[in-house]
Amino acid sequence: MASSDAGRITPILVERRFPVDLSHSIQSIEDLYDASKRARWDPNSSIPWNQLKPDAYTAAVRQAAALSWSRRAWIEYTALPETPSLLIRFCVELDREVDPKYYLSVRSTEEAWHVEVCHRMANELAGYVNQPANPAYGAVFNGTLAREALDADNLLDGYVAAHCAVEDSLDLELWRGYLDNARDPVVRAALEHCVEDKKRHAAFGWLYLEARHKGWDDAARQGIQAAVETYITGMELRGYHCAWLAEQDSAGNSVAADIVEADRVTAEAGLGALTPEQEADILRSAIGGARERLAALGVAVPDIDDPRTGRF
Amino acid sequence: MSTEQAVLREPTILDQPEQRFPLDLDVRIPKIRKLFHAATRNQWDPKTDIPWDKLDLTQYTDEQLQAGREYWSRRAWAEYGAISESPALLIRFCHHGLEPDLRFFFTIRSQEESRHAEVCYLMAEKLGGYIAQPYVQKYQKSVSTHGVRRMTLDPSYSLEGVIAALVCAAEEVAFDAFKHLVDVSRDPVAAAVTKAVMRDEVRHCAFGWDYLNYRMPQLTEAQVKDVEAAVITMIEKVEMNGYHSPWLAPEEPASEAEVRADRIAWEAGLGATVEELEKPVFVATIQRLRRKMAPWGVTLPTFHHPKIGDF
Repeated sequence: MASSDAGRITPILVERRFPVDLSHSIQSIEDLYDASKRARWDPNSSIPWNQLKPDAYTAAVRQAAALSWSRRAWIEYTALPETPSLLIRFCVELDREVDPKYYLSVRSTEEAWHVEVCHRMANELAGYVNQPANPAYGAVFNGTLAREALDADNLLDGYVAAHCAVEDSLDLELWRGYLDNARDPVVRAALEHCVEDKKRHAAFGWLYLEARHKGWDDAARQGIQAAVETYITGMELRGYHCAWLAEQDSAGNSVAADIVEADRVTAEAGLGALTPEQEADILRSAIGGARERLAALGVAVPDIDDPRTGRF
Repeated sequence: MSTEQAVLREPTILDQPEQRFPLDLDVRIPKIRKLFHAATRNQWDPKTDIPWDKLDLTQYTDEQLQAGREYWSRRAWAEYGAISESPALLIRFCHHGLEPDLRFFFTIRSQEESRHAEVCYLMAEKLGGYIAQPYVQKYQKSVSTHGVRRMTLDPSYSLEGVIAALVCAAEEVAFDAFKHLVDVSRDPVAAAVTKAVMRDEVRHCAFGWDYLNYRMPQLTEAQVKDVEAAVITMIEKVEMNGYHSPWLAPEEPASEAEVRADRIAWEAGLGATVEELEKPVFVATIQRLRRKMAPWGVTLPTFHHPKIGDF
């Protein structure tokens, strides 16, 4: 996710506005868009915030949970510039369907709700933390997704495969894990709403690839494979979702050690997190499952072999 | 990606690295955070919240239905422009780390623009079929783009200028036009559609004024002049060129066909309006903009349009 081509001018496609084709052409994504509109909720009123009892937890637990939820806000925030960029890309690229455009506009709102929920949860517990303690871990979040989505040199279908299908599938499974581990009723309510949205987010990526894959040639399949590999190595193996995968400093300590510890405490308290061991299982399973689904679409993503995760 | 498509290679904010932290998510402009929450509470669905079953096509002639199709298709093109262009503002807000309230609100604003494009498309479809482009290609110039995306991604372009031009000027023109359409649309479904869109547009306009009333006092004199120039360009080159109202477009067969269609649709009460009714609405909007922007130090000149004269 870190920029590797500083100074490069991002090429952007020039839109040809007319004809403005607004007819639906991907029924499955039109259905997803309609489902999103029906599933609307309100982070302020749909979650019983007044039932949250922070005093039921020790100060140490509250501090840990506030950090876990703060980091989740940092992750969710990635979508705020990314989704509008992807939406614009769909609009400027010739002959892209209207259904993803409509759908992404709703997804963007849901992502804002998720950021707001994470921020409020952290504030209710012990206070939102607005940056990582270690700037080296913060660098993992200084991303280029908004640029990558609009970069005309990148395949749009490759972007969708990497970030809407594979990444959003992993994200969904992690959030399901947070929910499975959560015992606090307010935390569970917040996670349940977010998980329902995230089911559609992950579905979008796969439905779009299924609608498109018959038109791919070998170059497109290779481009998609490369995009997925770049995402896994450039983001996930740097600790973007799973903090225990963050790099070590010169003394051999993880730059996200505080987050890893906070997540462990939050998980044990039932406030909605996972232990590194649980996250590792989900990571292997989600990426493995995504690899199988991509293979069925003709895209072969090689195994990842990392000493921290094993081969998956 | 099509290999035939043109590519723009100019510096944009996308070329600059992100500095995400510290990531402020607190309420900084309460009025705008309230707009976000109000928008969250007031979502609607074009497919299910419009009484489509009340649309009785038998009361209209073929000519009226055709005119209605043309009118609502044109509205869909304008709304689609907002989907295609204004999300760039959210990218810019994030890039500059501006107040989080702006960023939250603009996510749902894009969704509302989608709803508006969808509802206009559905209305055109119900009347006989959506039309994907003007019959006469020349008219595309009036309705193709207001250039907001390019300006917004350009780091040298004033963000406040874009907001003043797009939101305070163009959205205000659109809002007043929709308010007027509510009054002249006799068809119950056309009226329901215009009301639903107008309710969203209230928030869109409020966003612009709330933000700039907060922000403008912080600008230098030169920056205020940039804002002024952006608004004047939007009024002269976009609105007075017929972006929202075809009777304002340069007189030529292309725009005349659109104007004729609007008159037929208006006579039928299907949602359009006509020059003699909309002219005073448009003039009043510009005069109000002039008054509301004056405290910022923005001076809008007297404009001239051959259909209006000086105003």
